[in-house]
Amino acid sequence: MSTMTEERLQGSSRAALRAEKKAITVGVAGNPNSGKSTIINAIAGTRLHVGNWPGVTVEKKSAIFEYGGRKIRIVDLPGTYSLSPYTQEEIIARDYLIHEKPDVILNVVDATNLERNLYLTVQVMELGIPTVVALNIYDEAEKRGHTINRRVMEDMLGVKVIPTVATKKIGLDDLLKSLLEVAENPSAHCPKHLNYGDDIESAAKMLETQIGLTPLAEKYPPRWLAFKLMEGDSQVSGEIKPDDSGLSVSKAVGHLKTAHDSDIESIMADARYAQAFGLTREVLQKTESGNIELTERIDRIVLNRVLGIPIFLAAMWFVFKLTFDVSKPFADWMSAMTAGPFKGWAEAILGLIRAPGWTVSLVTDGVMAGVGSVLVFVPVIFAMMFFITFLEGSGYMARAAFVMDRAMHTIGLHGKSFIPMLLGFGCNVPAIYATRTLENPKDKALTALLVPLMSCGARLPVYVVFIGAFFSAHAGTVLWSLYVMGIVLAIIVGICFKKTLFKGEAPMFIMELPPYRRPSFKSLMIHTWEKGKHFLIKAGTYILAVSILIWFLLNLPWGVENKKDSYLGKVGQIIAPVLEPIGFGNWEAASSLISGVIAKEIVVGTMGEIYVAKPEDEKKNPSTFSEDLKEVGTSFVHAAEDSAANVFSTVGISSLSSKEDEKRAGLKAVIQKTYTPLSAYAFVAFVLLYMPCVVVAIAMRQEFGTWKWFGIAFVYQMTLAWGVAFLIYHGGKLLGIGG
Amino acid sequence: MNLSMLKCGEKGKITKIGAIGPLKRRLMDMGVLVGEEVKMEKVAPLGDPIEVIIKNYKLSLRKKEAEEIQLEAIK
Ligand SMILES: Nc1nc2c(ncn2[C@@H]2O[C@H](COP(=O)(O)OP(=O)(O)OP(=O)(O)O)[C@@H](O)[C@H]2O)c(=O)[nH]1
Ligand SMILES: [Mg+2]
Repeated sequence: MSTMTEERLQGSSRAALRAEKKAITVGVAGNPNSGKSTIINAIAGTRLHVGNWPGVTVEKKSAIFEYGGRKIRIVDLPGTYSLSPYTQEEIIARDYLIHEKPDVILNVVDATNLERNLYLTVQVMELGIPTVVALNIYDEAEKRGHTINRRVMEDMLGVKVIPTVATKKIGLDDLLKSLLEVAENPSAHCPKHLNYGDDIESAAKMLETQIGLTPLAEKYPPRWLAFKLMEGDSQVSGEIKPDDSGLSVSKAVGHLKTAHDSDIESIMADARYAQAFGLTREVLQKTESGNIELTERIDRIVLNRVLGIPIFLAAMWFVFKLTFDVSKPFADWMSAMTAGPFKGWAEAILGLIRAPGWTVSLVTDGVMAGVGSVLVFVPVIFAMMFFITFLEGSGYMARAAFVMDRAMHTIGLHGKSFIPMLLGFGCNVPAIYATRTLENPKDKALTALLVPLMSCGARLPVYVVFIGAFFSAHAGTVLWSLYVMGIVLAIIVGICFKKTLFKGEAPMFIMELPPYRRPSFKSLMIHTWEKGKHFLIKAGTYILAVSILIWFLLNLPWGVENKKDSYLGKVGQIIAPVLEPIGFGNWEAASSLISGVIAKEIVVGTMGEIYVAKPEDEKKNPSTFSEDLKEVGTSFVHAAEDSAANVFSTVGISSLSSKEDEKRAGLKAVIQKTYTPLSAYAFVAFVLLYMPCVVVAIAMRQEFGTWKWFGIAFVYQMTLAWGVAFLIYHGGKLLGIGG
Repeated sequence: MNLSMLKCGEKGKITKIGAIGPLKRRLMDMGVLVGEEVKMEKVAPLGDPIEVIIKNYKLSLRKKEAEEIQLEAIK
């Protein structure tokens, strides 16, 4: 059994652990995409996020498990190419290694890419902490005709070297045994001092001696500290102020600089690479396998100058389409069930216990409607997460970023931002979560801010009602114009934000393109579930709370007859004048828009409630429980059939539902009286732009850990929505269109 | 000449890295060093970024970044 824990093992709990029998702490360091998280998942039974692209893990995560009677606490760190202090990932990883001093470092090395990975190993060894090296992805190395002599490597490094294949759980037992052995007898497994050449060594020796005389020797590994001071490492210099400690750094490096005519950082990098190169030459044997690799063949097509973009767009369209076609029947089923049988059952149960009328309404119109609106998202979210997981696992994600970088760069974004934006058309919520693939916080924030401008599926019902009422002759064009409006505004807003909020150097784009890999079905399922679960729990609770709130607002004070007098109606009346200049200054519109914060499609529902008198309690033939149950079952089977059928016929927008209930027809008639075509268009544009829904807000909060970005999105979107609606309404009037 | 000027399939040997600060350090950390051999592999469909092979792995970077890397052509 393993438990995921936060980094809170301090003070009393740490003492308690020590008292029992001290848990062994293992810090896992290595290059991005070398399989660190996969190894931990395999040995500790965790479900850490893995993906076949560099930069999946962005924060440290720890897990505790038992092996050989000992408790082992293993800490997953973000992948890094070195231990310099330039990226967020590097800072997290090295801060952990230096300040929290794990008992053992597990250095995961990608065996297919030995030399570059050993460059990090060499740096890890400078820390002087007992280390075990895992030569992971050994299967692919062998396939390429590489063999690595681990015995020689162990001799040269002075630490244990274990070949592993994390995905197939090969070598992991050896690895665990070694970790235990090293923890029992740490001094025997301390890495050797690698000789960086006389010039560097003598300078380092001089500093090391000085450091030995200060308390710093307790806090930092002396050799490592000496190197960092020589390099002028900004973070270290900031922390210890070498001059105050009486360390004469410039004296130590003076000779080095003149002798090499270069900056110390480059001299050090060269020296470390020389070690990595030397090691590789000694231990790696290659027999060229003449055949062209699979990756090569796929990339020749996928990254082709002519076909690259069309293939990319087609792939994305396909994913997008498939997501919705597969999930749509289930989503429909979910909403039909919550509105039908489930509601009926709730009413029946509440009737049985003689609950007062208002509770029935609260449960069915408030709670169940709220739960229903979450459930409706579930199939879409899971379908989407499945495809994202697949794209991540295959290695195409990095290619997508490569293909789209140029286009995204013009609006200040990174190639990887394209994926969240595209997902946004389906549903903004998974799109916000998908921003996780962006390692740079600036890119991530800007992408998340622009995602809500992608017109999501929930806005479609609103468009459908209004377009049906006014523009049925040009429905397609008007609908298309709304999607395009969102995209064009995203470009404009992106450029504006880049010039203001996100000023400064565009982040660099230096990325490794990993080989393609086939994700295993099991891991696909696990990671799809992990992503979906996350959404279910958090969004579920919030959406429920807001739905209940809206119900109260629409039904308080007690016994309101006219919705105009309910709290929601009253707030609507207060807000209405603000909407006056943009063409729909009535309380009905205002109240509906407020309720739309839950999910934009609710705008239509509330309008129905407000505009159209409740149909006289049409007593449906009361159905029996077993009939209902049968209905639930058969309709689910139909949904599954439809979904399967849709996989094969992914053309045509199925979402424009043809079945229209009477309420909607009534609503159309009322809308036609209250709106002009112009104000109707202004209204739908407003709905497109006005604010992210509650679930998106929560997603933003979760991803960024603060409400700040939601706040910014809220303010800019409100302003934008009002401005655009104003332009449409008055511009149209001036031009004399549809006034 | 610099790395962004290579044509697909051409190779060069790095003579100088002009970049400074984090960009230079990042390039070095990823194996872009003086004396190293690079091969231009692909150019993205929109003309930027590029993909090169260095130290036996595929690295992609923008042309702007590649311009900082000076080379001499090798046959
Ligand atoms: N063939 C093969 N693939 C592996 C092996 N170990 C991991 N992988 C794959 O390598 C990819 C990267 O694995 P991750 O565990 O996410 O790598 P990581 O080191 O945690 O990466 P970052 O979090 O980005 O630093 C995934 O696609 C894994 O399925 C292995 O032993 N053999
Ligand atoms: Mg990871």
